[in-house]
Amino acid sequence: MEPHELDQDDFIAQVQSFEFWFEAVEGYLGDKPYGRDAEVPEPPLDDLERDALVTTLCNYCVGEAAALEASSGLVRLAPNHHAQIFLATQVADEARHLEVFLHRLAELGITDARAEVERRANPGLLAFKERLLRFVDAGDWEAAVFAQNVVLESMEDTVFRFHASVADPKTQQVLEGVVADERRHLGFGENDLGRRLARHPEDRERLAAVRAELDPLVLRSFEEAYEALGLGRDDRPSLGRDYLHSVERLGLTA
Amino acid sequence: MSDAAEALVEAAGDGAAPRRTFELEDTGFLEVPKRWRRFYRHWGGPDDELGPNEVVCPVCKVVIRSHRELRPGDKVYCMPCMSRMVVVARPDGRLEAEVIY
Repeated sequence: MEPHELDQDDFIAQVQSFEFWFEAVEGYLGDKPYGRDAEVPEPPLDDLERDALVTTLCNYCVGEAAALEASSGLVRLAPNHHAQIFLATQVADEARHLEVFLHRLAELGITDARAEVERRANPGLLAFKERLLRFVDAGDWEAAVFAQNVVLESMEDTVFRFHASVADPKTQQVLEGVVADERRHLGFGENDLGRRLARHPEDRERLAAVRAELDPLVLRSFEEAYEALGLGRDDRPSLGRDYLHSVERLGLTA
Repeated sequence: MSDAAEALVEAAGDGAAPRRTFELEDTGFLEVPKRWRRFYRHWGGPDDELGPNEVVCPVCKVVIRSHRELRPGDKVYCMPCMSRMVVVARPDGRLEAEVIY
C-alpha cells in the first residue's frame, strides 16, 4: 500500500501519532548520542571562530527554549487528541534540540550556559519569544501556532540549513538532525492553520495583522543570526524565502 | 530520479494512455517509519531530475514518490511534513504538487 492511498483522516491520525514520531526519530537519531556520531572529532577552531559559534549556539538555545515553552503550553490549547499528541512529540523534539545545543556549548568549554545565553542573546529573538509566549498565555491558538510553527520554525529551518552547509562536521550533524525534526513542526503549523482558514476565512485578516507585527522581529532576528555567523550582506541566503512561500499559500500576504 | 526502474504498464480504463508503474527502492531517507521510506527521498535541488512518478513537496522540499506515474489530479501525501497535495501540470508540462488543506 502507498501512503497516498490512505484515507485523509487515517493519514492525519498516523502522522500525528507518537508511534510515527518514535519510528521516524529512531531512524535518524537512534545511533547518534547528542545528535551526532560519537567518533566525530572536535574540529580545530581559532578563538574568533569558537566565539562566533558560541554566540550562534546561544541564540539557537533562545529559539529552542522559546519553542519548548510555547509548545508545552499549546498542548492544553490543542483542539483534538491527535493535535495534542503531536504537540507532545514537538515538546520532546524542542527539549532535545535545547539539550544538544547546550551539550555542544559544553564541548566548546562553556561552563555556565545560562549566563552565556543571557549575555549573548539577540534582542530581536528575545522580543519574538516574549510575543510568542504572550499568544500562548492568552490562549490564542491560531496566533501562537502561526508564530511558533510557521514563523519561528521557518526561520530556524532556513538558518540551520545554511549553517549546516558551512559548519564544522560535529555541529553540522547536530543541525541536520534538528532540521529533520523541523519538517514535522513546519508542516503541522501550515496544515493546521490552512484547514482552519479554509473553514473560517474571516480569520485571515487577523492573522495577517499578526504577521505584520511579527515580520520586523523575524527580519531582525534573521539579520542578527547571519551577523553571528559572520556573513556579509552579499553572502546571505535569501531571507526567509520558504517563510514567504508559506504565508502566501496561507493567503496571509498584505 | 534515482531508481524508478520501469516495470509495468498499468491499463487505463478511462481511455487515457496507460500509466507506467515503477519499482521503488529505499534511497536512505530515514525520516519516516521503515514501511514508508521508499516513498520519499531527499531532493538534490533544482538540478535534481525528477521521475514521472515523483514531485517535490513545496512545504518541506522532500521528493514524494509513487509506484505509478503521476498525473494531474492525483493526490499525494508528504509524511515527513504531514502535508496533503494534489498534482498539477504547469504550462511547460512539468508536474508540481499544490498543498490542499
